[in-house]
Amino acid sequence: MAETRSPILQGTLDLMVLKTLEQLGSLHGYGIARRIEQVGQGALVVNQGTIYLCLVRLVQKKWVSTKWGLSDNNRKAKFYTVTKAGRAQLKAETENWERIAGVIVRVLQPAEGS
Amino acid sequence: MPTFLHVCVARIRAFLRPGDLDREFEQELASHLAMAEAEKIRQGMTPKQARRAARVELGGLTQLREASREAWGLPWLDSFWLDIKLGLRMLRKSWGMTLIGGLAMTIAIFIGVVVFTFFDFAYGGTLPLDDGDRVIAIQTWDDKARRRHQTSLPDFERWRDALRSVEDLGAFQTIEHNLIIGGGSSEPEPEAGLAEPVIVAEMTASGFELARVPPLLGRTLVEDDERAGAVPVVVIGYNEWQSRFLGDPAVVGRTIRLGDTVHIVVGVMPEGFVFPVSHRFWTPLRADQSGHLPPAPEASVFARLAPGVTLEGAQAELTTLGLLPAASLQASRFQASILQAAGLQESGKELEARVMPYTFAFTGDADRGQVRWVIRLVLVLVTLLLIPPCANIAILVYARTITRQEEFAARYALGAGRGRIVGQLFVEMLVLAAAAAGVALLVVNLSLRWAEANLVSESLGGLPFWIDFSLSFRSVLFAAGMAVVAAMIAGLVPALKATGRQMRSGLHTLGSRTSMQLGGTWTALVVAQVALSLAALPAAVEIGWGTIRHGILGPGFAAEEYLTAELAMGREARSGSVAEGAVAEDGARPFARRFGALQGELVRRLLAEPGVLGVTVAALPGDEPWKSVEIESIESISRPQEGPQQVTGQGLEGGILGARSLVRVNHVDEAFFDVFDVPLLTGRGFDTGDFDPERTAVIVNRTFAEQLVGDGNPLGRRVRYFRRQGEEAAATDERTWYEIVGVVADRPAHVDRGTIYFPVAAGQLHPTGLALRVRSDPASVSDRLREITTSLDPNLRLDKVLTLDEIYREKQVGNNIGASSLAVITLSVLLLSAAGLYSLLSFTVNQRRREIGIRSALGAQPRRLLASIFRRALSQFAVGALLGVLVALALDYYLPAETVGGWNVPGVIPAAAAFMIVIGLLAAAGPARRGLRVEPIEELRNS
Repeated sequence: MAETRSPILQGTLDLMVLKTLEQLGSLHGYGIARRIEQVGQGALVVNQGTIYLCLVRLVQKKWVSTKWGLSDNNRKAKFYTVTKAGRAQLKAETENWERIAGVIVRVLQPAEGS
Repeated sequence: MPTFLHVCVARIRAFLRPGDLDREFEQELASHLAMAEAEKIRQGMTPKQARRAARVELGGLTQLREASREAWGLPWLDSFWLDIKLGLRMLRKSWGMTLIGGLAMTIAIFIGVVVFTFFDFAYGGTLPLDDGDRVIAIQTWDDKARRRHQTSLPDFERWRDALRSVEDLGAFQTIEHNLIIGGGSSEPEPEAGLAEPVIVAEMTASGFELARVPPLLGRTLVEDDERAGAVPVVVIGYNEWQSRFLGDPAVVGRTIRLGDTVHIVVGVMPEGFVFPVSHRFWTPLRADQSGHLPPAPEASVFARLAPGVTLEGAQAELTTLGLLPAASLQASRFQASILQAAGLQESGKELEARVMPYTFAFTGDADRGQVRWVIRLVLVLVTLLLIPPCANIAILVYARTITRQEEFAARYALGAGRGRIVGQLFVEMLVLAAAAAGVALLVVNLSLRWAEANLVSESLGGLPFWIDFSLSFRSVLFAAGMAVVAAMIAGLVPALKATGRQMRSGLHTLGSRTSMQLGGTWTALVVAQVALSLAALPAAVEIGWGTIRHGILGPGFAAEEYLTAELAMGREARSGSVAEGAVAEDGARPFARRFGALQGELVRRLLAEPGVLGVTVAALPGDEPWKSVEIESIESISRPQEGPQQVTGQGLEGGILGARSLVRVNHVDEAFFDVFDVPLLTGRGFDTGDFDPERTAVIVNRTFAEQLVGDGNPLGRRVRYFRRQGEEAAATDERTWYEIVGVVADRPAHVDRGTIYFPVAAGQLHPTGLALRVRSDPASVSDRLREITTSLDPNLRLDKVLTLDEIYREKQVGNNIGASSLAVITLSVLLLSAAGLYSLLSFTVNQRRREIGIRSALGAQPRRLLASIFRRALSQFAVGALLGVLVALALDYYLPAETVGGWNVPGVIPAAAAFMIVIGLLAAAGPARRGLRVEPIEELRNS
């Protein structure tokens, strides 16, 4: 089966970024982008620039906070951390996503069990 | 919910410090690229490859920066600001359109704001009293006749005792009295001072409690003062205290005389207190002998809503309580005679009580719900006034937009969306409309100041105290709304049209001349505009001339030699027989007899004065041309015995003077024509017998006679009229035939209008006008006039004592304002149509430059070339002009300017047409010159 690369579904980037930050704690933009690419195992097309636009939105909503620090290779970088409001939002979004995904799965497999 | 707020705060903060975030973002991107490159080098790429790969993965840096800026700040505000700057630049560049369009918009917005402000004054006011919005009025309402009705005293007393939803219930009525300041004794002599008419509020004591304003000195009225037989007392206002008593601190206890009753001053109210409307004297209200309170606005019942009660709650309680059965209330003779005089029958009433906000009770017999709808409708209509000027500006904008097609195409290619370009055009017009609204508000504000200074000081009672002459916030908001609508019509419509389908074609023509068309719609609009301007021009000239000619030509006689006044008699002396303003049918009634006797005595005494040359009594003592009652049509026969089927008339169709010959009416005494030096041309003047109410002799002026019989003999001809303006036509057999017994010369001030003079005997007219011809110094005669009047009877009131010259001049101020406004509006319409034609021709020349170039290169005569190019546009102009002339002719025939205060100017329509052609040629001159300057070589090279 030929491997295809899909674009990120609209509205899901915020969710992925929040989840990444929740799992890995404080992280800079490049780290977040790399992590999502790794998790996607090459199946997702991630335009790294859009991660930064997504982070701007999350910061404005106060779902993540920022702090300047030093990266592994001693470079100055902006680190993002998920806030309490961000965690609550992540929980709500995750539940919502699972519900929708479940519905889609059920719609796409109608014959099963019948 | 705070998420939304967080975003707003963050965006505003970012907007305020854009540089910081840009720098941070750059830093972040740089560190991202460095990390990515390092990792790729570690994976074995060369530094060059690594840098390139890192950049590709991150995406376009410029777009990213742009997107982050949009995500952070308030991008629309940035572009809005940019559009405003562009708009200002554009306005400066095409200053002609700015001036013409701005003027037209200003006029439309000005009219809108004036109408809105008027409604705001009339219906939007709340009382500037403590909890003023809880003060209400209660009316007895005749639902069948749709008008207010007198409130009966038993009903009023029942409301006062039973209603729980209101408190401080009371009533007032306004009456006019002669005021004479007494010398301190309880019986001041009439000679103690000059009588001066003043407005007095007869009010229940509860009015002062309702207003919650304590007196400055002494006390307010108390309930005991209302008792029959109580000592007459008066409370005076601050200004009266200052001006009439020089601020005497011992004023309480002094006496003044109102009419023939001496009142003791018991209190002074503080400055600014003029409750209930604009009053400065308060006396206790006592029911009249009929047991009724006079009808509002003469008498109004007021109250304050009890705490926690709404207007609806009060209405519900009042409806439940109901009115006493109308049958139990004996209609008084006084009331019956009033109704009779007004032509109404006392039957079939459906009375109910209704509650309304206090100020609403002073705005006529309107239903509140209906008024709201009417206001909305009128405001919509007023806003629609924006359409003609803005549609014109839209033509100009569209023509200009087409010439800017290349600019827009280029911006489109560089990534600006259609919305962005439409937005820019909209904002350009919004800048213009906002400026127009600003100017309109400024003019409204100045007009309000002027009105405040002139209207308030001139009217005796002053305006209601809740009317505030400052420009309200609501008016400003309304002007802003009108500006947005104007910008939408003038900017949005042409922008959408110009950027729609053609945008793509415009893109193709980038660099070469556009092939866009000025469509049929726009051309039709220009034609319609020309037609409208030409149609309106003659009427505007005639109305304008009619308005200012008195000022320019003067009244035509020595108006400064005439002193006029209005003479009336106070209520105390009336036994209730004569209605205000009506000619009494029975002169023998006591009031009319008394008034007639006093009037005769006054004339006799005045004639004995050394400076007085003549005295006359008339409905319109100065025969003021703008004031008369007009009769819409007259029918005439030579001999009444032959009946109306014999109606004949030389010089008029079917013996009827149609609407084109409005007739003026005056009621005059025997001396009138002598006093005003009006020569008798034929027939006789009025003799003593003519003043018998049974007699039907009338005198007409020369114009009337000419209109009626041409060169024939008007004497002995009988006339009767269909109806007076604003009245229903009387039934045929109820109309009286009057016989023309004499013809007098036209009065200089109004030679164009037929006038009919009815004889009126002393006492038949109340109130009546008085005119004195004086030898010199009208001021001293005016003092004598007051003295004599007061000495005859303290109840005899003189009002509006002015020389005719003053009256004419006063009238002229308003006329000049009216004429100037008309001139500005007409000028704006003319300019707009010239501008429309100008852009049509400019556009044609622009579009066909190449053709002009090629044809002149091939040897065509430039002038003939131009003529062929302009032929189409000019023939459209001619069609518009022709239509305009036709409409003007129709307008002149069906609605002559004379009927709306204009003055017939011979040859005005051809003159207007010629003027319009000159304007058209001037508008064509610019584009034509440009067309002639086209360089063939240049144009050929460009193509």
